[in-house]
Amino acid sequence: MRNCPYCGTKNREGTLFCEECGQALISGVDPTMPTKQLEDMPNDLAARATWGTASFGRQSAIIIHIRDLPDPITLQVTDRTVVGRADTTSPRQPDFDLTPYGALEKGVSRMHATIERSDDTLTLVDMGSANGTHLNGQRLIPDQPRVLRDGDEIRFGKLVAHIYFK
Amino acid sequence: MALEFDPYGVLGVSNTAGAEEIKAAYRRLARRLHPDVNSNPGAGVQFQDVTAAYEVLLDPIRRKMVDDEMLRRASVDDFYFTLRVTPSKRSITPLPEPQVLYLLAEIFPDPRAQDSSSKRETRLNLTLVLDHSNSMAGVRLEKVKIAAYQIIDNLSPDDILSVVTFNDRADVIIPATTVRDKPALKARVSMMLASGGTEIFHGLSKGVEQNRQFLGPKLVNHVILLTDGHTFGDQDKCIDLAVKATKDGISISAMGLGNDWNDKFLDELASRTGGNSLFISSANSVVKFLNEQVRNLTNAFADRVKLAIAPDPDVQLELAFKLAPHPQPLEIGGSTIPLGNLQANRHIAILLQVQLPGGMDIGFRSIVRLVASGDILQQMPQQKFQTASDLNLEVTTDPSREDPPSVIMDALSKLTLYRLQEKAQEALERGDVAEATRRLENLATRLLAIGQEDLANEALAEARRVAHTADLSDKGRKTLKYQTRHLLLPAVEERPE
Repeated sequence: MRNCPYCGTKNREGTLFCEECGQALISGVDPTMPTKQLEDMPNDLAARATWGTASFGRQSAIIIHIRDLPDPITLQVTDRTVVGRADTTSPRQPDFDLTPYGALEKGVSRMHATIERSDDTLTLVDMGSANGTHLNGQRLIPDQPRVLRDGDEIRFGKLVAHIYFK
Repeated sequence: MALEFDPYGVLGVSNTAGAEEIKAAYRRLARRLHPDVNSNPGAGVQFQDVTAAYEVLLDPIRRKMVDDEMLRRASVDDFYFTLRVTPSKRSITPLPEPQVLYLLAEIFPDPRAQDSSSKRETRLNLTLVLDHSNSMAGVRLEKVKIAAYQIIDNLSPDDILSVVTFNDRADVIIPATTVRDKPALKARVSMMLASGGTEIFHGLSKGVEQNRQFLGPKLVNHVILLTDGHTFGDQDKCIDLAVKATKDGISISAMGLGNDWNDKFLDELASRTGGNSLFISSANSVVKFLNEQVRNLTNAFADRVKLAIAPDPDVQLELAFKLAPHPQPLEIGGSTIPLGNLQANRHIAILLQVQLPGGMDIGFRSIVRLVASGDILQQMPQQKFQTASDLNLEVTTDPSREDPPSVIMDALSKLTLYRLQEKAQEALERGDVAEATRRLENLATRLLAIGQEDLANEALAEARRVAHTADLSDKGRKTLKYQTRHLLLPAVEERPE
């Protein structure tokens, strides 16, 4: 069986495009190859057991790693968190401002995307941003929510961030 | 003697093979194809041929006749076509669970056919079955008339044409005749008036009846049905008629005009006979589509091309789709798949998906045997020709690293989109609105990723509509189906022949 890296559907070996979502299933990993043991696993986020889960329980915060930024940022999520670039001329300001991380040069819109919280999941919704929002390399269709998972890569314009559930 | 196939080729032995070798080859094939072990209808057809070839070769007198005939043929340099099968991988890792393999089957016309096709020898036996119900009134009917005039102009005097018009009833306005008096034929077409409803069966049966009058193995026998409406209650009768027509060597193409016709029905009608089905969204395209269809027919190198697919008993055929020359889903239920005609300058390409069993033994093994047959038209006196291709793969724990051939990847990436909309429609038929919506959203995402923004928006709009009304719009259903199918075209045509 080969798991689709995009939607997680199990496809039979040999399938070249996911039967569920149509994404190409990149070959190259031999299905019979033994799992590689990682040496000296550093006690960082990459090794956490919740990796890949979409379930966002009672936590109230996510950790955001912005590429080329040494320290992660902790973000308190509310029911609806607008991500964007603060601009004094605009009537509304984002809840999470990316200006300190080079938002302007990297093409982040003023109102770029929202992270919305429902019962036990987080969803990411593009707000019709000029340069688009990509989730794990896939461009989002504006106003179409996508479920966020622990460890996902989000790209706001050209600004790359990884999110982890706390 | 009439020789429909080369018995040596069928058994896969050389023409110097002794009786023991022939018996061994026969036993090997019988173990895979015999109806007791292989319930696949394609295997049954192939088993008959294999048995016939075996009997001929074991009979010294008949074998001598075959040898003489083959020798004579070798000296006159007959035309042929070739069948090539490319798998998505050549070596497979054995797994405990089933796995998927894709095959590209291509039928190529004789390379010499293209030169000789400049002087056209193929004769056409063409029947147009035209809808003139009330909904055709105005520009639609005018365009159909223009298309018919142009077709009459382009046919050569020896071709045979018949025209049937139908609404609630059917009239033969041009009985099957050679195309000599072109002005008179056009005058009859010009009398068409729009009235009444749409009942396809009457028109189609009269059309097939006209076509039968000049039915011949040297001709391309083809019926083109053009309609813009739903037919009521006679679909099954139409399909029965189409199946019978195929047996007689008539193929049917179906063209739907506008949004208000049954795409599933016309698809099945065409697929069963080896024809095409087309969606013509605006009346302005009628002339182009009809002329193109007829031009392709006049370019035929072979007609009544069929493919018999015999997967090994433990291998399962899951899907067959014609990629070229015109994308069309194929029905895999019958013993042979009709493919219509093979053009002199374009090949036929079919993508197959099979499931291999779990727990395969290490070593070389057979997967599937394909046999393509057809009537070569540019050739006298030989008519029938068939060629077989046997696919063997290596099962090994150490498979060679290889990427699937790019032709297969290309075709499959587009076919996946078509399958997504198909699965959405299947889900809707089951009443599973949530699944249908999800499939359409996935389709929109994939379409956006390959830069098909208009179509992606269409898919998204339909996803929203489905979520609210639990149904697709008539236009959306056809647009998604035929446009995703259409995506298969350029990738196929760009390929060097």
